[in-house]
Amino acid sequence: MTTTAPPRTPAPAVRREPRPVPAWRRGLRPYVLSIPAVLIIVGILYPFVLGAYYAFLNYAAVVRRPVFIGLQNFAEILSDPAFWTSVRVTLLYAVAATVVETVLGVGIALLLNRSSLIGRIFERVLILPLMIAPVIAGVIWSLMFNPQYGVLNYVLGLGSTFDWLGEGTAIWSAILVDVWIFTPFVAILVLAGIRSLPKEPFEASAVDGASWFYMFRRLMLPMMWPYILVAVIFRFMDCLKIFDHVFVLTAGGPGDATRTLQIGAYQNSIIQLQYSQGSTYMFLLWAIVFLTARYLVSVLGKAQRRAAGSEE
Amino acid sequence: MTRRELWTPNRRDLLRMLGVGGAAVGASSLLAACGLGTGGGGPATDNGAAEVTGGFDWRKAEGTEISVLQTPHPYQVAFQPLLAEFTELTGITVKADLVAEADYFTRLNTELASGAGNYDAFMTGAYFIWTYGPPGWMEDLKPWLQNTSATNPDYDFEDIYEGLRRSTSWDFQVGSPLGTGGQWAIPWGFETNVLCYNKTEFDRRGIRPAETFDDLIQLATDLTDRANNKYGIAFRGSRSWATIHPGFMTQFTREGCKDYEKQGDQLQAIMNSPQAVDFTRKWVELARAGGPTSWTNYEYPDCTGDLGAGTAMMVYDADSATYPQNIAGNSAQAGNLAWHPGPAGPDGSYGTNLWTWSLAMNSASSKKLAAWLFIQWATGKDAQTKAVQTGQAGFADPTRQSVFDGAFKQTLGNFPGYQETFEKVIGSTDIKFTPQTQFFETTEEWAVALQDIYAGQDAKTRLDALAAANTTAVNRAS
Repeated sequence: MTTTAPPRTPAPAVRREPRPVPAWRRGLRPYVLSIPAVLIIVGILYPFVLGAYYAFLNYAAVVRRPVFIGLQNFAEILSDPAFWTSVRVTLLYAVAATVVETVLGVGIALLLNRSSLIGRIFERVLILPLMIAPVIAGVIWSLMFNPQYGVLNYVLGLGSTFDWLGEGTAIWSAILVDVWIFTPFVAILVLAGIRSLPKEPFEASAVDGASWFYMFRRLMLPMMWPYILVAVIFRFMDCLKIFDHVFVLTAGGPGDATRTLQIGAYQNSIIQLQYSQGSTYMFLLWAIVFLTARYLVSVLGKAQRRAAGSEE
Repeated sequence: MTRRELWTPNRRDLLRMLGVGGAAVGASSLLAACGLGTGGGGPATDNGAAEVTGGFDWRKAEGTEISVLQTPHPYQVAFQPLLAEFTELTGITVKADLVAEADYFTRLNTELASGAGNYDAFMTGAYFIWTYGPPGWMEDLKPWLQNTSATNPDYDFEDIYEGLRRSTSWDFQVGSPLGTGGQWAIPWGFETNVLCYNKTEFDRRGIRPAETFDDLIQLATDLTDRANNKYGIAFRGSRSWATIHPGFMTQFTREGCKDYEKQGDQLQAIMNSPQAVDFTRKWVELARAGGPTSWTNYEYPDCTGDLGAGTAMMVYDADSATYPQNIAGNSAQAGNLAWHPGPAGPDGSYGTNLWTWSLAMNSASSKKLAAWLFIQWATGKDAQTKAVQTGQAGFADPTRQSVFDGAFKQTLGNFPGYQETFEKVIGSTDIKFTPQTQFFETTEEWAVALQDIYAGQDAKTRLDALAAANTTAVNRAS
């Protein structure tokens, strides 16, 4: 005889009432939620607005009571050839460093993508320059660049005749140091992107007999383009604000050959104690970085949609 | 409110916000860093000397702790072990904050501009008085010196070399010479800018230091052998006001040139006079033919380092910077160096520009008597004599004639020509610049002009442009 157990009816779920939130916690919640906004206002917006405000004063160490002078600082700086030299130097630096780092970084990422023992070792060693603070890198390279006792002229057999930090060479030497520090950053970012790409399109192309170059140009490059652009945005914006290792290497010289906008602002504010002039430099740099960032982010958005196939 | 009415950022919006936000964050921190505190710096406070009355007593501020901002220079290093003696003498504790020389004046500017009075006394150079004085950041020490209740009768301010006393005193009026107005700092240690050369190498070649500027150019050129990494003379060339003040300003003055002249109630830059153009052209030629290859980056440690390594045969810079290179164990050429005043001017002038590390009082200090007692002690005869006798890194040069003639000469040792050079130039050693509040801006521009001429620009055209820009800058309404 078999007996059939009556079907068990699940016990009715006990709906637990949410514990009432104490009034003090309810009262505290708006303040807790507003902490990030307060931090942004105190940490970013307040100094930003204050710095912008200084750009409209004649604030300097020797001026006891600064007064509002309208756009006079802007007029003076925009009519100063040294400012435009700084703009030219900054843009040359940013474009050249970003292009070289991107090309080298993508190349290194493609090489590292092939699984090999050397590749795996190199992948780990590659990150070392990124571990060195740019100021320290500047000091190291300034020692290596020195014609009297630096290692570069010695190894290259140039004696003490070649000046790496001379009028025509200093900007390129500074870019070289930037490339040394930041190419690994681009390589690692792009390598991460390559490794996240789907394998199927490549396998299908290989079955169809597509060449490596064809697959690279038609498949890999369009799909990894957004990653490259992210690296470009980071590096380009960073280069527009360049200061540290360039200042260590040359202090903006010889003449104004490496005087970037940041160095110009530093010299005005800290060396010459013309605080308002320095703030004006920084305000103008902010405008350049802001507009560039807007443009590059819109390009990135387009590239992402194109990579996703949602836009031709 | 429906969901559609709520703004929901899409991925593109988020990316845009991230990018723009990143740009703002990156730039805003530095934008703000350009402004220091609130406008105008600290308010000038009343001089505190009048509050000190009664007889002089080292223990008048007993139990006080003062903060002093200093940079680890040989003067400071020599005095550090003596601070315990000061505390024993006065009952005042000294808290010395040290900031590396490269960052020192940035820190000091920030501190003084804030008006917070965190530091009661500080080290400063004479040129900085021209910037720190006008906003009222510094205490005038003349009333303290004149107050017999605050100053030891044995202090003997006149024992400090006259050129040094004059260099730290000014009335801040456009065109007024140094030595007028308040005494803003008390000289503590100083340096004359003269020539130091490798005597062993000179003796081996049977040559002597040059006595005229043209001969110096020829000598430096002859001693330069770039294939063997040797060159004739090291002097500063970096993009800094500090490039102008040592050898350049000394020889500029000896050759009869001036930086500014007063015309009416304004200053006119005349570093483009025919004499100045000719001298500048020769100076740059000296750098090209006999200077370091990377001259436009050279600062004083590079110059003295090359001298000590035997790469540079001569250095035209501060005597106190070359002095340590001759101390046994400090350099490869220790014991081989000697000093010379450098070329005299056409009229036989040995006019020499100086740098002095001085001690000054923060006008915002709330412990002015204790700060003054510290300054008075550190610049006094007893402490300076002990610093000269015990300072391991060398205390060159003491600012008091009695200390130079006494303890310094006794401890000088094997430094050929050092004393003779000092005694030859000291009478005509002071600050050769015209005092003016835009010193750092205009003098850095002068260094930039030198670099441009070195790079090939025409000296006359470049110096005309510099003089026009500097005339505008020095007369800028403050």
